[in-house]
Amino acid sequence: MTFMDVKHIKKIYTSKLGSKGTEALKDVNFAVEKGEFISVMGESGSGKTTLLNILSTLDSATEGEVYLGDQPLSSIKDKEVSRFRREQLGFVFQDFNLLDNFTLKDNILLPLVLSRKSVDEMEKTLQPLVERLGIAHLLHNYPYEVSGGQKQRAAVARALITQPKIILADEPTGALDSKSSQNLMEILQDVHQNGQTILMVTHSARAASYSSRVLFIRDGQVYHELYRGQKDPDVFIDSISKSLLVSSKGRV
Amino acid sequence: MKISFFSKMAWRNIKANRKLYYPYSLSSILSVAVFQMMASLMTNDFVRQRSAALPSLFEVGTLVIGVFSVIFIFYVNSFLMKRRKKEIGLYSVLGLEKRHVARILVIENVMVSGLSILTGLLVGVLFGRLSFLFLNYLLDLPNAMGYSTSWEMTGMTALLFISIFTLTLLYNIAQVTFSNPIRLLKGGKEGEKEPKSSPILFVIGLLSLGAGYYISLTIDNPISAVNQFFIAVLLVIIGTYLLYTAGSIIILKALKRNKAFYYKPGPFISISGMLYRMKQHAVGLANISILSVMVIIAVSTTVTLYAGTEETLNNRFPEENNLSVMTDEEMSSRELKETIESVQSDLNEISSEEGYTMTDQYYFRYMTLWGEMEGSTLAFQDFQGGSEIPLMVLVMPMDDYNRLAEEPVTLSGNDLLFYTPDPDLNRDSLTLFDKTFDLKQINDMPGVMNGMSQLIDPILLVTPDDSTLDTLRNQRNSELAEYPVTLSADFFWSLENSQNSTEYATRIQESLRDTDYPVGLFYESRDGNREDWYSTNGGFLFLGIFLGGLFTIGAVLITYYKQISEGYEDKERIQIMQKVGLDKETTRQATHSQILWMFTLPILTAALHTAFAYPIVQKMLMLFGITSNTLFTLTTLGVVMGYSLIYWIIYRVTSKLYLSIVE
Repeated sequence: MTFMDVKHIKKIYTSKLGSKGTEALKDVNFAVEKGEFISVMGESGSGKTTLLNILSTLDSATEGEVYLGDQPLSSIKDKEVSRFRREQLGFVFQDFNLLDNFTLKDNILLPLVLSRKSVDEMEKTLQPLVERLGIAHLLHNYPYEVSGGQKQRAAVARALITQPKIILADEPTGALDSKSSQNLMEILQDVHQNGQTILMVTHSARAASYSSRVLFIRDGQVYHELYRGQKDPDVFIDSISKSLLVSSKGRV
Repeated sequence: MKISFFSKMAWRNIKANRKLYYPYSLSSILSVAVFQMMASLMTNDFVRQRSAALPSLFEVGTLVIGVFSVIFIFYVNSFLMKRRKKEIGLYSVLGLEKRHVARILVIENVMVSGLSILTGLLVGVLFGRLSFLFLNYLLDLPNAMGYSTSWEMTGMTALLFISIFTLTLLYNIAQVTFSNPIRLLKGGKEGEKEPKSSPILFVIGLLSLGAGYYISLTIDNPISAVNQFFIAVLLVIIGTYLLYTAGSIIILKALKRNKAFYYKPGPFISISGMLYRMKQHAVGLANISILSVMVIIAVSTTVTLYAGTEETLNNRFPEENNLSVMTDEEMSSRELKETIESVQSDLNEISSEEGYTMTDQYYFRYMTLWGEMEGSTLAFQDFQGGSEIPLMVLVMPMDDYNRLAEEPVTLSGNDLLFYTPDPDLNRDSLTLFDKTFDLKQINDMPGVMNGMSQLIDPILLVTPDDSTLDTLRNQRNSELAEYPVTLSADFFWSLENSQNSTEYATRIQESLRDTDYPVGLFYESRDGNREDWYSTNGGFLFLGIFLGGLFTIGAVLITYYKQISEGYEDKERIQIMQKVGLDKETTRQATHSQILWMFTLPILTAALHTAFAYPIVQKMLMLFGITSNTLFTLTTLGVVMGYSLIYWIIYRVTSKLYLSIVE
């Protein structure tokens, strides 16, 4: 069942002087099935962040359309877009984007508070989640008091707490050391195995190897994809690395 | 060559950071200007010559403004440095040594602060002169107020601000020197710790504020009020600072603990935001509150003084013409009466010669004693005795009392009519020099005597006859022979159809000069005093409005800077929340309620302080002969409302600034 459909997305950034725009995305096409864990890989400037911004409704495409279920994203009105983002999407960012003036608990609860859920409901949802993520003992700490890995786990908890249709992750391991990265990827894998759909943008072959499918993007186009199938991450990483190596030479 | 490289770099930095430097320079310039104007007033002729209390009042005012300047410049500087840490960290990473960075900071500081001080002084001198011109034109006082630029005070201002800027520079250099580049690079983003609540400071704040309020409420003597006023002011200022810094955190934390209230979009965003920044902003809020109180008190008292000038005149001079009669310690009340009556008939004669008719003529004889109530005995003493201010006792004979009072009384041999404003002093009987009298109470003094009760509320004793008065005086004088008391009298009259004129007053003055009555005479006309009073009270009004303006500028400055710095601080937080799904509507609601609190808190505090300052200020006004409460109450209410309106406009403008930065 197609869950998210990305159709002929094109994005051109025009400068203020209006001369010639920069084409960030040329023609991006792919579909996400429910329960998939997709990694989008590409070098800097390949357009992967632009793509993610369009998927997260933070930016809009110049041409083409993205459907979440049956709903085209461009049809969401400005007023509803915040609610849509809050209720249907979960975000994990490279630099965590936790608020320093909130405890981890309050950071995680933020989307629920914005949706005006009752305190009872919040607490009920929170407890099993943080226990699964191993941050239950840190709930009353502030972000600057915990490690990077712990911060990112709190951010994952914030993304999951609304039970979103899809999690969008932007280089989630980008600011973490290798051990924390591995730990985070195992958590994401676990979340995925529980049925959560995830779309992650990453540089790291190691991180991508945990996903079920990898899309390679270059010059604003998806030019290659790999399915993991039943492969172990350690085996899958080899095929990913090979693809990257080939792509860096310029041709598939 | 090297120097020119660094100065070029410094200049480029300032230009590149102009968004931060504009408010910074503006704030510095205005602080310098405000202090310069305030300090210049200390050397103003009017301030120095009109009243003994005025110079010390202005010294305290200047000191307060000076302290505010130090706090404010440091606050503004810390905000600037926080924004620039990243840039400075980058220099180190790019290979500049710390002493090079320090040199750049020195050059930048010299440029910006030098320019700010020079511009500020210029603004101070010009604005001071212009506003004096404008106020003189606006108020149209009989005597225009002169403004003198005091070069001495200008120099002092320059010196003060050079020291403040040097201190901030040293602080900045120390910060750069003692931290490593990586931390500086992260600088602006580094999380600040949640402020700790300190119940001890909170309690001290409460006590200090309570003590200040208590002094104001319980003070009963305007003569000592001037000193106690300063103590009360100091206590209230300390209390305000402590309560804002400690109290706000305690309250916010308590609100946060109330889960059902806290976990809603509005409170969730605003309480956490306020708690986070309270540490720095509490001081700003306290400053705004105190400046607001100063504006309100300065303007409302001086407006009351000016508007109450007629009342002052009516209290001092019950009729248009007033003659004070002074005797020596030998003269009996009977002789005094005869003398007054002959003066009276002489005056009538002179008046009718000049074509005037005297009306409403009356006089009363009295003597003023100082004493202390011990049980039901009134013991007399000399005025200079002891640190406690003694009771003032006015003694007058029944005939004279009946001339003044609305309801005449009859007293027999052993009776005294008795009035006291203090219910604790009420007695049934009273012993004077071993003789015990029965007291008959009255509720009020005759209105004519209002002019005598400006400083202290006196006790009034009315004797049944003249001889009792004489006996009392003789007994008093034989007991305290060194400081004899004498009888006095006041004689009042008006003219038919209010035909009073300067010529008449001059004529009376002259005719009294050439007489040889056995008493001293001192004549004053209400009209003759009017201009004098209006020019003095007008001068006060002038100063009040000028000071009100200065303090308002100060409050505006702090509000403006607070909104801008908060805007920059909140910008990132709001952006993150919007990424996670905070909509614009809720953003607006939350920031509005947050700004609204920041707005109403200082103005409410100011109103509360004013309410508690009311009794003490009202008693100080009595020094100037303002006895009616209505005028002062209405003026204060009016000024509070007017000031709230001005502050509201400021708030509207600055909160727009805030929202434009945040969004």
